[in-house]
Amino acid sequence: MENWVIYILNGLYFASFLFLTSLGLSIILGVMGILNLAHGSLFAIGAFIAAWIIGSLGAKAPVTIFFLGLFAALGLSGLMGLILETTIIRPMYRRALEYQLLITFGALLLIEDLIKITWGGTAYYASKPFDIMGNVSIGDNQYPLYFLFVMLIGIVAGLGVWLIMSKTRIGVMLRAISTDREMAKAMGIRVGRLNTLAFGIGAALAGLAGALIVPTTPALLGIGMEPLILAFIVVVLGGLGSLKGALIGSLIVGETRSIGIVFFPEIELPLLFLIAVIILVFKPEGLFGR
Amino acid sequence: MGLGLGAAELLGSSVKVRKATAAQTRSIPKSPIKAATVSFLTGPAAAPFGIPGDNAYQLCAEEINKQGGIFGRKIELKSFDEAGGADANVKLARKFILEDKVDVILGYVSSGNCKAVLPLSDELGGLIIAYDCGTHVLMEKERSPYKVPKYGLGFRSSAHLGIDNIGLVRYVKQYYPGIKKVAGINPDYAWGRDSWKVFETAMKKLMPEVKVVKKLWPKLFTTDFTAHVSALIGSGAEIIHSALWGGDAVTFTKQAIGMGLFKKARMAFSRGEPYPQEVGMDYPEGQLICCAGTHYFLYPPKDKWPLNKWFVEAYHKKYNKYPSYACYHAYQAIYTYKAAVEKAGSLVGGWPSQEEISKAASGLSIETPSGILTIGEDHNGKEDVLIGISKKVKGHSFPILDPDRMAIFPAHQVNAPAGIRTEDWIKSWKA
Repeated sequence: MENWVIYILNGLYFASFLFLTSLGLSIILGVMGILNLAHGSLFAIGAFIAAWIIGSLGAKAPVTIFFLGLFAALGLSGLMGLILETTIIRPMYRRALEYQLLITFGALLLIEDLIKITWGGTAYYASKPFDIMGNVSIGDNQYPLYFLFVMLIGIVAGLGVWLIMSKTRIGVMLRAISTDREMAKAMGIRVGRLNTLAFGIGAALAGLAGALIVPTTPALLGIGMEPLILAFIVVVLGGLGSLKGALIGSLIVGETRSIGIVFFPEIELPLLFLIAVIILVFKPEGLFGR
Repeated sequence: MGLGLGAAELLGSSVKVRKATAAQTRSIPKSPIKAATVSFLTGPAAAPFGIPGDNAYQLCAEEINKQGGIFGRKIELKSFDEAGGADANVKLARKFILEDKVDVILGYVSSGNCKAVLPLSDELGGLIIAYDCGTHVLMEKERSPYKVPKYGLGFRSSAHLGIDNIGLVRYVKQYYPGIKKVAGINPDYAWGRDSWKVFETAMKKLMPEVKVVKKLWPKLFTTDFTAHVSALIGSGAEIIHSALWGGDAVTFTKQAIGMGLFKKARMAFSRGEPYPQEVGMDYPEGQLICCAGTHYFLYPPKDKWPLNKWFVEAYHKKYNKYPSYACYHAYQAIYTYKAAVEKAGSLVGGWPSQEEISKAASGLSIETPSGILTIGEDHNGKEDVLIGISKKVKGHSFPILDPDRMAIFPAHQVNAPAGIRTEDWIKSWKA
């Protein structure tokens, strides 16, 4: 029984990362209709910024430096998102999907090179927050408090996005754009400005997820590829552009992976695709897709 | 033996440039020796292997040049990034041989890259010395016995993964003969699968009573090992074999510490030598660590083997870190080339051809900072292997191998004979 609690917690922990990453991807896709392949690089930027700050200052500085790393990653990834949207994404809105894929894939490569130029090709370690938070005992097992902290951040970020989307004027306008872009424009909503904002929020969430991961794994070139692939599975499975879908999709992928590794280790990765295929066969639009 | 520079000679204050000893019948070019070194300079393999390996190449080339070069020719190294995949490396190697006309290519960490590039040695007539890639199938053929060498101008100047995994099983048998359950967590590609296969085959032969209770195959560059750690804890394994490397090895170790795995089981890392230094004092004690040979900054001891003293001190002075096994592998590659040229040059009385260098390298033994390296007739390095167990010792900023529990397994116990496949050799052992 204790083992099962740990398996479920592992799934929730992994789902938290997936949720933060896929939430951003889903907002960008839902509001702007842009399939952003550079999302993994925005995750990587967050990871490197946080690792650089925590690694450079963290050994002597108090744990609050970790929060500085988180906010810096959130802010600078968001800023990078704003720059991307206003420079290379904006001309793509009226173009076909393949143009979007090409331009965002180009952006992915550009950002990877930017990371390489800025931080070099080596690993950045920033494990202090993970180490000092300690563990909690669950029966005979121990579980790092940092993992629970990540879950908490996932819940807070999810609630924050839900509040913005459902309770604020900006959220209503974003949803209006997502539902009918032309109608929203006709109603006087400044779509261009809100597109930029949506891209910035999505990028910031990816950066936050990247920052949260570095206390448990070194920041390395290519760190954003795995989250990007899994976030795509989540978004497709949950339904394109659906926030609820991102949440449920993340939980399904997280828990399937966690339990799958224990009982079907030979098909660790194929299992996720298998689940996605089964769901898409019965619900081709995804669980909560329109 | 002794065709390479001996420790005393290398360190001696009076520097002598070797001359061709036979009556000089051939000219020796005045131009520097062009050597291309290829390592991961970016990406996940850069920090643990690629950059340290490249650093060691630079250090060794400087030392060789300081000593007068090879027959008076200085070595001119050019470093290249191995990242980019097999196709990119094949194109790069073609360019080195056909356009740049390099004297030798010293390179490659990735087994996939080695397998793609080494056939070019004979196809294009260029000398290639693979320095760090570990797959045992690189120099082996489909069936035993097979004709050696597989490549006339292609070499690997280190032993393959066979020594790591056979060595680990021998260590377990020696120090933990009572264990009943083992598990494995290995990256899901050829390196991980091959490492496990050799470990499991040797384990079945030497400790047939031991049961394999879990085999996990995380994909390369996994950032979350929590589910794997839980599965391993749940399996009840006493010793867990792993060929994880680079960021994966560090990530797994950190997360496993947090989840208490090391209180319940011991890891047996087939190439774990770099990671205590990477992780620092948090690295757990009591873990089995293989050094991919006898490559360790504390072994052979500096008072008994001055060459290791020189290498460790020179590397540390220059790069502020202790050399990891990849650095020792780089030393082996460049000094194998040097020794082979000197041997061949002495015989032919001048600068030797690629084929003559190759013939001289086959069967060569040289002194290295780790001991003696022999290049077999199969053009593959044969080495002893050092296995130890991590321990926090006063005076060191990270756990080192417990000096009282280090074990050296001699080359003949861990390397298959030339012409026999490693797995066939293990299966032929008498229980």
